[in-house]
Amino acid sequence: MSVIAVYNIKGGVGKTATAVNLSYLSSNHGVNTLLCDMDSQGSATYYFRIRPARKFNTRKLLKGGKHVDRNIRGTDYPGLDLLPADFSYRNIDIALDDLKKSRQRISRVLKPLKKEYGHIFLDCPPNVTLLSENIFHAADWILVPLIPTTLSHLAMQQLLNFLEEIGQDRSKVLVFFSMVEKRKNMHGEMMRQLEGQPGILRSHIPFLADVEKMGLYRQPVTAALPSSAASAAYRELWDEICAHIGADR
Amino acid sequence: MSKNIPDTWYLPEELEIEPFVADLAEAFGVAVEQAGQHRRIFYDSFDWRLYRKKWLLECTEEGWRLCEYGSGRTRAALADISCQGPRFAWDFPDSSLQRLLHTALDVRCLLPLVTLDERRTRVRILNRDEKTVAFLYLEELHVQEGERVLRTVRLQGVRGYVKKYRAVRRFLEQYGINESASPHFEFEEGLKAVGRTPGDYSSKFTIRLDPAMTAGQAARTIFLQLLGVMERNLPGIFDDLDSEFLHDFRVAIRRTRTGLAQFKKVLPAETTALFKNEFAWLGRVTGPTRDLDVYLLYRDDYLARLPEVLQPGLDEFFQDLARRRQEEFKRLVRALQAPRYREIVSSWREYLQSDREEEPAAAGMPVTDFARQIIYRRYRRVMKDGRAITDRSPDESLHRLRIQCKKLRYALEFFTSLFPEEDMTRVIKQLKKLQNNLGDFNDLSVQQDMLRRHLAELRTGSRKNLQLAAALGGLLTNLYHEQERVRKRFATTFQRFGDSDNTALFKRLFADSRARGRQK
Repeated sequence: MSVIAVYNIKGGVGKTATAVNLSYLSSNHGVNTLLCDMDSQGSATYYFRIRPARKFNTRKLLKGGKHVDRNIRGTDYPGLDLLPADFSYRNIDIALDDLKKSRQRISRVLKPLKKEYGHIFLDCPPNVTLLSENIFHAADWILVPLIPTTLSHLAMQQLLNFLEEIGQDRSKVLVFFSMVEKRKNMHGEMMRQLEGQPGILRSHIPFLADVEKMGLYRQPVTAALPSSAASAAYRELWDEICAHIGADR
Repeated sequence: MSKNIPDTWYLPEELEIEPFVADLAEAFGVAVEQAGQHRRIFYDSFDWRLYRKKWLLECTEEGWRLCEYGSGRTRAALADISCQGPRFAWDFPDSSLQRLLHTALDVRCLLPLVTLDERRTRVRILNRDEKTVAFLYLEELHVQEGERVLRTVRLQGVRGYVKKYRAVRRFLEQYGINESASPHFEFEEGLKAVGRTPGDYSSKFTIRLDPAMTAGQAARTIFLQLLGVMERNLPGIFDDLDSEFLHDFRVAIRRTRTGLAQFKKVLPAETTALFKNEFAWLGRVTGPTRDLDVYLLYRDDYLARLPEVLQPGLDEFFQDLARRRQEEFKRLVRALQAPRYREIVSSWREYLQSDREEEPAAAGMPVTDFARQIIYRRYRRVMKDGRAITDRSPDESLHRLRIQCKKLRYALEFFTSLFPEEDMTRVIKQLKKLQNNLGDFNDLSVQQDMLRRHLAELRTGSRKNLQLAAALGGLLTNLYHEQERVRKRFATTFQRFGDSDNTALFKRLFADSRARGRQK
């Protein structure tokens, strides 16, 4: 049982695509999997053609228990469920701030779900907030898609510093390169620099049109085009992650 | 509805699929996915080790899946491993499936029990966003060994879409789809077709005897069942599937031989003499292969007993054992295929099933009295021999006691059903503890003998043999120390077996009324 948060301070690095595809692969290998869409934009929810329930919102999420249970939706894929995002999540920090133990709230919400699901993925919004702090507490692993540029490198450093600051273990962090464009020299350069460092995964996801097009056909690329290069890249990434976290595929 | 197993119904015979699907498409948004034929194979060990744990193991072209019987919850799965590959738990790659199978199967192999060919159409019921809100599976199953075709429909809800599920269910009802099928109907129907029922074989000996039986009738019933066990294991021995077929076969022989000795007053003397001889022969011809099977199974244990530097020396040793085992196995098969074996089985069966009048007088004795007599005599023998053993007694005395205990155990198991279950469970449990100690002791000394023999046969001069000799020496030392430890535990173990509670229990259950009178 692992809680895997897909996180980066920056947006547009392929977080949602990662969460959607890896959670699909996880369920495809027979592991009951839950994807929690924590981003108020609800992209993951959209990819699975799910509409959030009318009565679901931040308050219900933070109450947890049956309030969450009731709002989990099955996807088109057996073994993969989704907790949809709600637009009210954009103010989730204010709600969290009002609560006791405001840093462990999400952890508490997820606790009962761990019995039911072998893997729980969290698709996180791109910022450093009280919600992110909650997620870092709750997650066993923080998976960081990183576009190999200098700015991304900086964002990564900020994340590691922040984890240290809040007393979280840095070895939770697993970084992989995302949206990699082989013909860009800088990408290659950056990847070579970080290669082999602890927490940096070997597998990477190239910049591929098939991934970008996911918004059109609204399915994980790994499900819609299983023999595409994009799918192969996600599968390789998932295999490596499983080996790293000691989970069965 | 977050159930793992969808509700399943049989399709009415007259229902035609095409118009049904067309109507379905009219009532709901649907996506129809025609799947080709695919094969499903259900596996278990010969003695149902998975089923006893309420597990069901299935292999399809997608891979292996272990689920819980009833709930259908997936316990573990492994993709991309073909059905032909693994036979034993250890043939699977390291995974949670492998570990679960290993705990359940131990040394037993997997056998394909049921093979089905399935043609399946998946209909996804869609909402306005073209999101799947329920799955409908139309299935046509051919059981490979049978003529029957099973047609079913399964409805699998999607979490959070209850209303749609209900609507589809109502639709099905209107079509007269109401005869529900068991969640594992394909497995169950498949078993029927191959003539097996779950749990129909166990290596544990259980028999229900009627207290109204005579000793003679009981003896025949017991012997017949043991003969049945032998016959059932024979094909598995010939096919050399796993070591346990031969093991169970031999245990049945041993029980029969013990029975022949214990029931000697019940059977005609010449019958006893004849079959004692024949079953002794069976014991002899099956012994060497079994011994080598046991040694081969020690491999992991031996490696664990040695430091890493000595481990490679054992490779040659086990290769040699495997070679010898193949030779012995050929001999065994020749012996069991020879007319003598068939002759033993048929004449023994003929005798057991016939109504011979010329049986000795004791055969008419009520079975319970007879059972008491036998068990109590064996028990007293165990107590007497056990008490005589001191720290200085030779190893041989412990071996003899082990045999006595085994005879007592067999007698208890023959007649378990005649006595209160709770008492028998306790008695057997106590005896088992003693047997475990003696069994360990014996195993360790048999192993040392085997290793010593091997060491004596070893020619000097080669590097390989030098390594092997070092490994054998290391093992001998290790086994010797362990045997010492086991021996030290004997005194307390035996004391516990002979404590006042247990003694009183044996007396109450098995001593005849005169003996019980004397006790007071």
